[in-house]
Amino acid sequence: MAIATDPPRTGAADSALPRRTTRRRPRNLGAWGAVAPLLVYSAVFLGLPVWALLYQSIRRTDPATGVTSFTGQNLTESWHGIYLTAMWGSIRLSLLTAVVSAVVGLVTAQAIAQSRGRLLKQAVLTASGVLANFGGIPLAFCFIAAAGTAGEATGLIRKIDPGFALDTFTGLVLVYPYFLIPLMVLTTMPALDGLRRQWREAAANLGGSAWDYWRHVGGPILLPALLGGFVLCFGSSFAAYATAQALTSGTVPLITTRIASVLSGNVLAGQENLGMAMSLDTIVICALMMAVYLPLRARSARWLDS
Amino acid sequence: MAGLLGRLGRVRWWRVAILTLVAVYLLGPLFSALWFTVYNSRLHQFSLAPYGQLFSAPGFLASVRMTFFLALTTIALEFVLLVPAMIAIQLRLPRLRPIVESIAMVPLVVSPVALTAGVSTVLGWGLNDQGSWLFRLDADLQNQSFPLILPLIYAILVLPFAFRSLDAGLRAVDLKTLVEASRGLGAPWPLVLWRVILPNLRTGLLSGAVLTLALVFGEYTIASILTFVPFAVWIVQDGQGSGQLPIATSLLSLLLSWAVLFLVSFLGGRRAAAVTDRSA
Amino acid sequence: MNRVTKLASVAAGIALAATACGNSSTSTSSGSGSSTDWSKSTSATAGGGMDALVAAAKKEGSLNVITLPRTWANYGKLMDDFTAKYGIKITDANPDGSSGDEITALQHQKGLAAAPDVVDVGNSHALPYVSLFAPYKVATWSDIPDTLKNSNGAWYGDYGGYITIACDASKISGTSCPTTFADLAKPANAAAYKGKVAINGDPTSANAAFSAVWAASLANGGSLDNIQPGIDFFAKLKSLGVFNATHSTESTIEQGSTPISVDWEFNNSQYAADLKAKGITLTVAVPGDGLYSAYYDQAINKYAPHPAAARLWEEYLYSTTGQNDFMGGYARPAEFDAMQTANTLDAADLANLPKVTGTPQIATGAQLTAAQNTVTAKWASALG
Repeated sequence: MAIATDPPRTGAADSALPRRTTRRRPRNLGAWGAVAPLLVYSAVFLGLPVWALLYQSIRRTDPATGVTSFTGQNLTESWHGIYLTAMWGSIRLSLLTAVVSAVVGLVTAQAIAQSRGRLLKQAVLTASGVLANFGGIPLAFCFIAAAGTAGEATGLIRKIDPGFALDTFTGLVLVYPYFLIPLMVLTTMPALDGLRRQWREAAANLGGSAWDYWRHVGGPILLPALLGGFVLCFGSSFAAYATAQALTSGTVPLITTRIASVLSGNVLAGQENLGMAMSLDTIVICALMMAVYLPLRARSARWLDS
Repeated sequence: MAGLLGRLGRVRWWRVAILTLVAVYLLGPLFSALWFTVYNSRLHQFSLAPYGQLFSAPGFLASVRMTFFLALTTIALEFVLLVPAMIAIQLRLPRLRPIVESIAMVPLVVSPVALTAGVSTVLGWGLNDQGSWLFRLDADLQNQSFPLILPLIYAILVLPFAFRSLDAGLRAVDLKTLVEASRGLGAPWPLVLWRVILPNLRTGLLSGAVLTLALVFGEYTIASILTFVPFAVWIVQDGQGSGQLPIATSLLSLLLSWAVLFLVSFLGGRRAAAVTDRSA
Repeated sequence: MNRVTKLASVAAGIALAATACGNSSTSTSSGSGSSTDWSKSTSATAGGGMDALVAAAKKEGSLNVITLPRTWANYGKLMDDFTAKYGIKITDANPDGSSGDEITALQHQKGLAAAPDVVDVGNSHALPYVSLFAPYKVATWSDIPDTLKNSNGAWYGDYGGYITIACDASKISGTSCPTTFADLAKPANAAAYKGKVAINGDPTSANAAFSAVWAASLANGGSLDNIQPGIDFFAKLKSLGVFNATHSTESTIEQGSTPISVDWEFNNSQYAADLKAKGITLTVAVPGDGLYSAYYDQAINKYAPHPAAARLWEEYLYSTTGQNDFMGGYARPAEFDAMQTANTLDAADLANLPKVTGTPQIATGAQLTAAQNTVTAKWASALG
């Protein structure tokens, strides 16, 4: 759509507008100038470490001779055996917990967005900010105290699911939403705040039910933020490892605990290059996810952007 | 009309139920842990001793102060980088959007351990020649009392969250019209940014700032592997030892972080309300 | 100017000022003024004698250590006493970190003033990284058994311990506390031990957990060349419902989730001492059927920012006081046998260690690697 944003040139309007004194510049130079710092910064502070990962992942030091050489062995190894199982386990866990958290988070955010108390909203938003970053060993312990073998609520949980144990895949699915739901609340709250109450009333006045409202008005407006929130939840769940390590001690295979064992452990040594290769693999997964997410989001926001 | 009111009444009940369930899920484990720290089930004794030790421990204020400044630096850096870029993308360069969004997603998926490995490798590269300016820069970045490398990395880490907040905020504002109108009235770009766009982005900016603050106060892995001691690392170091102490310190730090965040958002939010009232 | 901008510019200004005027972070290792370059000395005598070493170390004034928890093997007391004796300030970075973190710090902080001077790593992380260490032989070098040190002096064992089984009897009803690995797997005990047996983390990541698996292997027909029976043993515990995959710590024992903890003796005994005040009696038993012990190793950073202080620290750790202090932390000092012969073991500290007969077998580098590979490949699938 090539409709220019400049106002139409008529004689009268021309004299009222300030004179354009700039020379002809390449289009959007200013805009590029505004984006350049971000791009350069990312290239240095994200690109360099990732480059370091890539470089290390294709090298290997022969323990016998001490000679370091280029090799694709690390990368192939990282897609086989226990590492493949771990990657698959991570993807499964992240997808499942992201879906659960997205749904619950959205519903919670909606419930809060509707409330009138500004203080309540701020208290909840800030609490969400803190809880979204609460993880690792303290979170693991909170759940051990609540739902572990000697947990306060374990009896209650076992009434619903008799075979429940915290140190299993199911246990992790119970624990991960703890920091994912606040994350979802945080990311969808601004969008929900933008839904005017008048629209809801207008829809009702036109004879629509709540379902109609959500399907034709609220839903489409929210969809980009929803998708974005889901992707954030997936990523955050994917990258978490300390909680899983403390709760399951490696019995649930996850790629991030594998990476931590190799790069920051007390047992495995000399396999850092493999750890870098695994990290590179996680970036590949991220790229795949973006390849799925971006077209979806573009579609959902198309009518909003025009 | 009665039907509409009836529908709204039903919604309210359902809203309370959801909020209660989520509150139980989020607060329950915290209370279990809290109960563990104050009650000794073998001796049947109740005691708040673990909590007293946190404040009196040496280095508490120093680490809070350092972390706060790290957070401020990160926030400033983040906004300087993101706000102009996102406005430019929204207005003039929509094709760059997928690229920036992808960049903003990578830090999320890369495990913090892996990112630290990458960062420490790069830092190691700069240390090979002791006399060079690169070495000096590298050393300054890792200064123990204010490690500049941390905000530089945190700005990347917080990109996904800040991007989302600003994005949601920008969506809620009709940016094109605002900019056209102010430019049409003759305002130069800095003024447009400062007086027109930013005030309208209050919620997005505030929520981005709050998220950054929370992340910096909670970040442990990168700081500890690079051997720096901001708040989250100090908490763990201080809470070593007996069973109840480390748990008590993390719970207390959670509460403290939330108090700081709430204060910041409260103060910021009041100004936002005042600004919007004036312009209404 | 609005408040946010003010705050931001102040913050930016402070950040710039801090880095510009911050203390010089470049390393000047031989600022001691003495003629010896301690970073090249391979022993105290080679450098000019103990007195010269002490003087040079005091001149350096500080020591950087890494990943030493204060409650681990009595490091808190060791560090405090060292500072009190020589006036050298100790900075302990990343106390909860791992051996992997130590090696990372050595590799990527080369030449920085905050780089670690000395490291205390597991054997798995000492053997492959000899090139990062500066060879040094302490005064009591000959008292360290040959199996526990690198012949060139690159690394040397400082303390170690056996894998033990700790048990909180108040959480076990219907049967007694287990004292051997066989007890853990008895079907008759399964109901009483349900969900109560835990190890100190992930065997591919935590040395104590890895060693627990190896000890279990020795108790079930395995050897230093074969760790598979250990994995099978824990799989059996899992099928009996007895194994709890939660990482066992002092907090979880106190909370009651992991009343049976298979861990290093210096961890379990330390927990027992701490928890006594809380009304919990933890009994610590060395399992007769699976005797496995391992030693941690000391090494000096080749590019240590404080080389004299680093060497003095090593001398201190291997002095009679130092080695006895390890026993005070329920760990077995490397020079135990020599000190027993010379009668220099502190009786009170010695009482901390349960009596164990027999010499421990230490795994070689090749055996370690093979076992690590087996556990990495098999642990998750066996216990998933």
